Amino acid sequence: MAEPMLQLKGVHKRFGKLEVLKGVDLDVARGEVICILGPSGSGKSTLLRCVNLLAPPEEGEIFLEGQDICKGPGSGTGESSWNLDFVRQRVGMVFQQFNLFPHKTALENVTLAPIKVLGKSKAEAEEKGRTLLERVGLGDRLGQYPETLSGGQQQRVAIARALAMEPHVMLFDEVTSALDPELVKEVLDTMRELADEGMTMLVVTHEIGFAREVGDQVVFMDGGVVVEQGDPKAVLDNPREERTKQFLGLVLER
Amino acid sequence: MSVFFEQYFDFHVMGEHFWEVLEAFLQNLVIFFVAALIALAWGLVLAVVRQTPGKKTLPVRFLTIAYIDVLRAIPLLIIILIISGGVPFLSFIPKAVRIPEWFGKSDPFWYGVAGLVFVYGAYTAEVYRAGIEAVPRGQMEAARSLGMSHLQAMRHIIVPQAVTKIPAPMLNELISLLKDTTLVSVIAFGESTLVSREILAEQLNSSALILTAFFFLLICLPGARLVDILIKRNQTKITRGAHIEVG
Repeated sequence: MAEPMLQLKGVHKRFGKLEVLKGVDLDVARGEVICILGPSGSGKSTLLRCVNLLAPPEEGEIFLEGQDICKGPGSGTGESSWNLDFVRQRVGMVFQQFNLFPHKTALENVTLAPIKVLGKSKAEAEEKGRTLLERVGLGDRLGQYPETLSGGQQQRVAIARALAMEPHVMLFDEVTSALDPELVKEVLDTMRELADEGMTMLVVTHEIGFAREVGDQVVFMDGGVVVEQGDPKAVLDNPREERTKQFLGLVLER
Repeated sequence: MSVFFEQYFDFHVMGEHFWEVLEAFLQNLVIFFVAALIALAWGLVLAVVRQTPGKKTLPVRFLTIAYIDVLRAIPLLIIILIISGGVPFLSFIPKAVRIPEWFGKSDPFWYGVAGLVFVYGAYTAEVYRAGIEAVPRGQMEAARSLGMSHLQAMRHIIVPQAVTKIPAPMLNELISLLKDTTLVSVIAFGESTLVSREILAEQLNSSALILTAFFFLLICLPGARLVDILIKRNQTKITRGAHIEVG
């Protein structure tokens, strides 16, 4: 088997005395879409934040394309020892609250990091930005500020913004949870296209339908550990673990 | 009663010294502009340094917090007196800095600027800090996840948003700074308070002080109204923003 894109081994994350991740192992192959389900507080979002070192783990190893991104003296203490540049230029993230920059237009949101971080010229970044915004269906909104866009449009700008850094892995943190129901589909469609193009994706979501259809694997987390993992149909239709059954029962009841 | 009016509202004295006091008041404005410009920049530097993350910068961060706390706790008048009375004798400092006479301004002017900047840098740092902390956490996370360094995120994302949140409190500080330029009179800087007191000593009449007060009113009252307008506008912006999020 080819080297996994992303590999987590015994990852622990604590916030003070609260241990949010209690030893998580996870392998993600290149081009794979992994959907992470679980009740709130189960550590799903923290897991994503560990992967791009927004919340560096205290224990365990994370390999990105074979590189140990947590190694170095003083692991878990400071940023300087972490391979921040290596990670952040390979891992893109989309947030529940969009977190678009409100003082920048849609196009500026997408071009800022390529210009300032990758050192691209303005023209080059704008051409790429335009292409990306067209790809997410917002080619006619380039000059608009986030507050004039709907939630779904904002989230699609956020996806384009992350893609502008040409990531190898994309993290999605409950990206449809803050959206009105009628806007959810447009964002999920964008993500589906991305998956079809072969992007490696870690998707924390409550959209069971999306997980079943698009996911290559479903991971069910609870209490800071992976409870169950496998083929979407197997996990969603015939869960083995009691906790998975309970959770799915509550979610599917709606 | 008439003695009081003669003492403070003698229009003859006011008229006679009008231009003299106005010219001195312009000196208040000059020292205000110079001090305000430097203090606004210095305060921003302090605020940004205070917000740096990680253990490496801990000593600098600690120093910054100590500076801000100490300078806010000592009366400005004392600071000005200490600087003008002490700095000239610090022989290890080059004379051009110790007794500055830059841009044709006297050394009391620059000691006054120094005192005002030291103290108001600390005040404005706290205002900037409030603005920085009012920017949602997700903004920094988004910027960092796109590969920006902490400083890049501060410069391009956080600070531009922070300064739009604080015009009202910052304007309050500036009004306060303008009024505090009168304190520089104690080290013989020829601004309006000093000139008015000289007139009082010569004429045994206080009307020039009222004239000075009038000049300050003329500038500061509209400033205070502007603060109110800015606060109100900011509130409608907040409610409008909330409306968008709900709707």
